[in-house]
Amino acid sequence: MRGIGEIFKKEIARVVKDRKMLFSVFLLPALLMVGIMSLTSNLVSNMEEDIDSHVAVIYVSNMPESFQTLLDAGESAYDIRSMKEEEQIKEELKKGEADLWIEFPENLESQVENYREGDRIPQVKVYYNPSEDYSSAAYQEISGQVLEGYRQMLLQNRVGNLEQLTVFTVNSDNPEMVVQDDKKANGKALGMMLPYFITILLFAGAMGIGTDMIAGEKERGTMASLLVSPVKRSSIVLGKVFALMVISGISSLIYVVVMVASMPLMSKAMAGTESGMKMEITLEQGVMLAGILIALAFLYSTLIILFSVFAKSTKEASTYVMPAYLLVLVIGLMSMFTSKAPSSETYFIPLYNSAIVLKGILSDEVTWMQFASTLLSNLALGAVLTGVIVKAFERENVMAP
Amino acid sequence: MIEIKHLTKVYKLNKKQMQELHTKNNKKTAVDDLSLTARPGEIYGLLGPNGAGKTTTLRCIATIIKPTKGEIYVAGHEVQKESEQVRRKIGFLTSDIKLDPQFSTDYMFDFFGRLHEVPEQKLKERKEELFTYFGIKEFAHKQIKELSTGMKQKAAIAVSLVHNPDIVIFDEPTNGLDIITARSVMDYLRKLKAEGKLVIVSTHIMSEAEKLCDRIGMIIDGKKAAEGTVEELLALTHTDDLEDAFFEIYKEVKGEE
Ligand SMILES: Nc1ncnc2c1ncn2[C@@H]1O[C@H](COP(=O)(O)OP(=O)(O)O)[C@@H](O)[C@H]1O
Ligand SMILES: [Mg+2]
Repeated sequence: MRGIGEIFKKEIARVVKDRKMLFSVFLLPALLMVGIMSLTSNLVSNMEEDIDSHVAVIYVSNMPESFQTLLDAGESAYDIRSMKEEEQIKEELKKGEADLWIEFPENLESQVENYREGDRIPQVKVYYNPSEDYSSAAYQEISGQVLEGYRQMLLQNRVGNLEQLTVFTVNSDNPEMVVQDDKKANGKALGMMLPYFITILLFAGAMGIGTDMIAGEKERGTMASLLVSPVKRSSIVLGKVFALMVISGISSLIYVVVMVASMPLMSKAMAGTESGMKMEITLEQGVMLAGILIALAFLYSTLIILFSVFAKSTKEASTYVMPAYLLVLVIGLMSMFTSKAPSSETYFIPLYNSAIVLKGILSDEVTWMQFASTLLSNLALGAVLTGVIVKAFERENVMAP
Repeated sequence: MIEIKHLTKVYKLNKKQMQELHTKNNKKTAVDDLSLTARPGEIYGLLGPNGAGKTTTLRCIATIIKPTKGEIYVAGHEVQKESEQVRRKIGFLTSDIKLDPQFSTDYMFDFFGRLHEVPEQKLKERKEELFTYFGIKEFAHKQIKELSTGMKQKAAIAVSLVHNPDIVIFDEPTNGLDIITARSVMDYLRKLKAEGKLVIVSTHIMSEAEKLCDRIGMIIDGKKAAEGTVEELLALTHTDDLEDAFFEIYKEVKGEE
């Protein structure tokens, strides 16, 4: 037992004393993350601004005078071009040179004015290119707002008072229309991303150090010095597993804090989820989160160490650990994009259940039962792997080739 | 006491090793039915050319690897059944066991001292004695990766002796050392012997074996070809130095094949 503590302390000291290691394990990933996120958010908001400031190029055929007046009175500026051949306009739309083509029927105004019941209702056709950002934005604005306004205007001309035609409105004066559990909504946005980031960061943080702790020590010939000391193989293994757990746990904690702190940076990038950025975690949620993270840190550490034991060098170890890392990535993605309620057996599948439960904890949708089965199954698998590692440590062709 | 009874060690070779050795046989017998006894208060030397099986024998004694056949008793403990007790009794030094280059000698000394459960006070005394003897003090707080080969070897020797073991197993301890350092290592081994400890060393250097060892086991192709004090070996082969004696025995063994 004494050996576990000594080896644990040495492993921690090894990381703490090494500036390069400290930087590459704790700081660099956090910096990279913030960098990438603020970069994407800048790019996204630049793009939005660009679309906003773009003057839409619009062709209008058979332009009614009243529509022209309406456009002139409006705030937005449009580049209204004189008509060309139909084929040519479509070509320009395809190329993204033109954004919209509004085709009014001939004499729309008189058609509307002289309308009798039973006549064909005139149709305005709007052509656009949904794969061009400018074009779709123009379409949204013209068909949704400008043409709708125009229709109301013409309708008013015909019937005088519009109110007679309005049977009811929907939410025209209801500031309380959004009824949701804020906690749950907050969690939805967070719950979508955080588990994913936490699991992959936890693993990534443990990977470099874990492979160095085992395969690196074998490579450097320092493992053998532990093997001739009077500590049990199991103590060596546990000391290293716990140290790796703590280091990767702390690094993932740093990443999470950095992520939450840099949320304002990214809020633009995830427009509309402003409310999702508030982190309100109850004590119960906190306890559950901590429990799952500890179990995960344990399981990941044993996984990484297990693969490293069979490698002769850190390079070889990284190659062996890679598939496990990919598995963790895929599982994270799966949990991110499944909205179906998981069946109760799901909560007994280690790794996968932790991703589901993390998501559930953050959106306050998890039962203690689900939490407990997740916690136990991950810890149990970790314990089994630890046993396998100890067995491997006793094999001389693995440890002292 | 170390008692080796009919030790055989067969390595399983992997594909790469088979290619390197130009062999289709995936087994390599490194030690072949070797028996010997070394007692407290003596320096026993394993003498043989490279590849003879010296390191393999010592690694079996130190419980790093397991004998394929035979038994080894170290201070009464069998290496496979009671490996932990064996590790408590021995100080083991070999070139492929290294100290972590990121740490200082001082840190490593304390670390292994604690693993051996040496009491703090005792640990201080041991450090004072060994660091003074090997002149480690001036670089004790430098990272081991910054040390020269000789300094590293001295550090490794000191650390391997932190728990004041009764049985000292050194594999080619003077390898790569300058003559002054090599001399001081040999002197220290004599001092250990004088304290009544059992020292077992391996070497391929005849003059070193001749000067240092009370008894010598000559190892050729994993077998013990001859054993005795220097005088006994010289008398046996009618020669007057150990190198000649070794060649006589070598010829005899190889001639039989
Ligand atoms: N881990 C190993 N796997 C396979 N063969 C080995 C291994 N270690 C040593 N050998 C072989 O065993 C023989 C004895 O090696 P060793 O004990 O190191 O000799 P010595 O120390 O006397 O030079 C050599 O032929 C060597 O190639
Ligand atoms: Mg050797």
